[in-house]
Amino acid sequence: MHSLLKLSVVAAAAGVLMMSASGPAAAGDLDGQEIKVCTWGGSWRDIQRDNVVTNPGGLEERGATVTFVTGSPQDNMAKLIAARGQPVCDVIEILDATWDQMVELDFVVDELDFSLLPNAKHLADWQIGKNFTGSWFTQEGICYNAEKFAEHGIPTPTTYKDLIHPKLEGLIQIPDITSGGGLANFGGIVKAAGGDENNVKPGLDLINAMNVKKFWKRGSEGVTLLENGDIWALISHVGWCMRGHKAGQTYLKFVHPIIDDEHVGVNKFGFLSIVKNSPMEVRAAAHAYINGYLDEETQFQMSSRAGTIPVNVNAQARLAQDPVLAEMAVLDAEGIAKEYRVRYKGIDITTWNDQWNRAVTQ
Amino acid sequence: MTASTPLATTASNGTRPQPQRQPGFHFPLAKVSFYGFCSLSYIFLLSPLVVVVGASLHRGSRYTVVKFPPEELSLYWYTQIPDAHWEALTLSFSLAFMASILACIVGIPAALGLVRSNIPVKGLFSSIFRAPLQIPSIVTGVAFLQMYYLFGDLTGIYVNGTFAGLLLGHLFVGIPYVVGTVGAVLQRFDTRLEEAALSLGAGRITTFRRVTLPVIMPGVYAGGLYAFMVSFGDVPISIFLSAPGFVTFPVELFYGMENDFNPSVLASSTLVILFSLGLLLLMQRIVGLENLLRSGGGS
Amino acid sequence: MKARWDLILVPSFVLSFVLMAASQIIFLRASFYKDLGLGRQGEDIIFTNYGRFFTDEFYLSVLWLTIQVSFLAMLFTLVFGFPVAYMIARLRSRWAMVLLAGIVISTFITIVIKVFGIYIMFSASGIVNQTLMGLGILDKPWTVIGNDAGVVVGLMHFTLGFGVLVLYSVVQTIPRSLEEAAQIHGSNRWRVWTRVIIPLSLPGVTVSALMIFNMCMGAFTSAALLGGGRVFTLPVLIQRVVIMEVKYSMGGTLAAVLLISVLLINLLSIYLMTRMRKQRLVIT
Repeated sequence: MHSLLKLSVVAAAAGVLMMSASGPAAAGDLDGQEIKVCTWGGSWRDIQRDNVVTNPGGLEERGATVTFVTGSPQDNMAKLIAARGQPVCDVIEILDATWDQMVELDFVVDELDFSLLPNAKHLADWQIGKNFTGSWFTQEGICYNAEKFAEHGIPTPTTYKDLIHPKLEGLIQIPDITSGGGLANFGGIVKAAGGDENNVKPGLDLINAMNVKKFWKRGSEGVTLLENGDIWALISHVGWCMRGHKAGQTYLKFVHPIIDDEHVGVNKFGFLSIVKNSPMEVRAAAHAYINGYLDEETQFQMSSRAGTIPVNVNAQARLAQDPVLAEMAVLDAEGIAKEYRVRYKGIDITTWNDQWNRAVTQ
Repeated sequence: MTASTPLATTASNGTRPQPQRQPGFHFPLAKVSFYGFCSLSYIFLLSPLVVVVGASLHRGSRYTVVKFPPEELSLYWYTQIPDAHWEALTLSFSLAFMASILACIVGIPAALGLVRSNIPVKGLFSSIFRAPLQIPSIVTGVAFLQMYYLFGDLTGIYVNGTFAGLLLGHLFVGIPYVVGTVGAVLQRFDTRLEEAALSLGAGRITTFRRVTLPVIMPGVYAGGLYAFMVSFGDVPISIFLSAPGFVTFPVELFYGMENDFNPSVLASSTLVILFSLGLLLLMQRIVGLENLLRSGGGS
Repeated sequence: MKARWDLILVPSFVLSFVLMAASQIIFLRASFYKDLGLGRQGEDIIFTNYGRFFTDEFYLSVLWLTIQVSFLAMLFTLVFGFPVAYMIARLRSRWAMVLLAGIVISTFITIVIKVFGIYIMFSASGIVNQTLMGLGILDKPWTVIGNDAGVVVGLMHFTLGFGVLVLYSVVQTIPRSLEEAAQIHGSNRWRVWTRVIIPLSLPGVTVSALMIFNMCMGAFTSAALLGGGRVFTLPVLIQRVVIMEVKYSMGGTLAAVLLISVLLINLLSIYLMTRMRKQRLVIT
């Protein structure tokens, strides 16, 4: 018994020591406003915190308190649904694929106050709606090991079909439909295979013909497998390919696949909005957060790190100076306009899921 | 052997290991193949840890994912561990600690009651205590979250997104382990010891404290350790019950890798390995793992 | 004066029972309503969700696969875990503690991180494949990613540590003196195992096996990470249905089927076990 007591005291003391208290916030125009932000975790959140919250002139200095609700957009939406609309968070970052569901469930505000979002003027028109702004986008395509392809005489791919090759059997990875880029890439494959949003079967047939080894959930897994030679081609966004390249896999090349006569490459968007039931008293801070997110420096930091494409055109221009990214990504407006985007409105994603689940199991 | 590297520090503590002659290992071939077979399990369990520790020492760049064996040795990533990891580790540790203590407080009387009472349908009672192990954790997570919202709607007290809410979920899965291990010890307990104490005039509480508790303590430690490990490693329950501003360590890593990969996750995981080694050493100092060993596991 | 052990049981029981009943009833209730998508449900009680499960080959094959991989993971956990448990139990030196520490530490690190180690170990150019191919056991690399074997490997990372600890207690119930006696009477090591150790530990091993099997049936993280999106077990499918599709009705149905099958398998095993050996079961 005595020893149990000792053990508890030691452990409790360790716990208290490790607990760090946060300092008091400085006074400012957002004094006392506490907001919660739904976004991804890890360094994605850290970059936002460093550039929007704790930076000089950031939200913390202006008196606001920001906490993060981390998770993928799907997870965060599941939390909102389980909460039946209670404000799990005030600002939410989600994907284009989930956006229409958010609107359907009436979870987001009807209108944003653009007078509080001066940075929004640096965004292209089609990246802004009355109740959302874009936050970044990714260019999805084929990242492949050019050395292995050349060594085995496999022609340079121009579209997904080119990955159907006897020497590539079991050496391709595609994002799982539940991963961030899953729906966008699947939509692109479906379109390239001659299907559309309401008829995904051609895409599933194409995937099965490619003889995929594994569907990735995290790009980091794909990069590890590429490095070890377990796969030779990874369908992902530019960011993971850039990452592998910069970490020493200089044999990696990226292809924006031809989708149809009008489209080359696929993209997916991040959206920012404010949750409907978020209290009015914190709306100023919520807008300030979104504005900070759209700031050139934040956008540049985020993109140069993760390989996403900034929505802020000034940051986009700065990104062109990164040699690896400039080679892999498409940064001109004309090229971006040709990228295929899935039309999620009016389609039932659950039927996509259901068909996918049945088609890909071994 | 790969397995022995991280363990060497533990071995150097205390007396030197004594070579033991196993009863009945008459020919070395049988002995060697037996130990060889056992070492397979250790290679299987510990080799991924060797990769994690090794890769954490590779300097690389922020774009590196997992490089093993490491090429440029450096402790750089240990200096880059973000605050969020420390906060998550603190939370995970406090949570696992509290969950295991509470699991003991709930589990000990439950085990005593189950083993010693003469209630009918004892099997049913014991299977209800065991049930949390049979519910998939993801279901426990969603179900608890829904329960919290319903409870909140009824009473105005929302425990979702609080430490208490998270703790309750972890306690739920921790209790069966303590009931199991303490129950197992009690099955072998000689009640004549207690009778003797009572007949010598000791009060019921004194008897419990001085006689019963010391005997069942190994079971308590074993059960507490299980509850701690389950709580410390849980992902599916914590995903739903963690809250703004705080997430547990495994959840932090789980989400941290979704959109990006920060090589410092390898460094902080290595620290967890060291931390668990430290925790075991502490337990060894205080209780002696042999005691814990003696009680054995949950069945 | 007789202690009222039954009263001592009450508070703990009430807590456990309330937590379980309240959370599960709320969740499983959804399985009797029509799913309107995005977490919304119909008003009328229906049974079509269950009907759909049992008439759809896909769901049935997922259930069957879950049982198969759980059984295999349990079997391998016993095969690999029992000798280790036996070794630790019979060591009288400090090594026992070191070996135990190795098991416990492996359990402390989340599979989320360990999976990278598993990828690298089992990579085509990794140590496992190179060793096996070097020894001529394999002629081409064996992959554990995105197939049933991978899921079993992932599940074992979850269960082997626990398995060893639990089996350890089983070995401890076999008096060492019995083994020695058998040897004195001329039994060789093989006979001691087949005639003493295995028969005596069988009841305990069976109970441990059930516990490990149950853990596997509910495991999500390891199955999801190593299944590579190709191998769907019920917990993986439940996660997809609940998170991605936000269909609580189907999620509830799948969870109910999982719970009931686990319960039935447990009851069946206990029944068979008591039939086979008329022995009183210990409380687990």
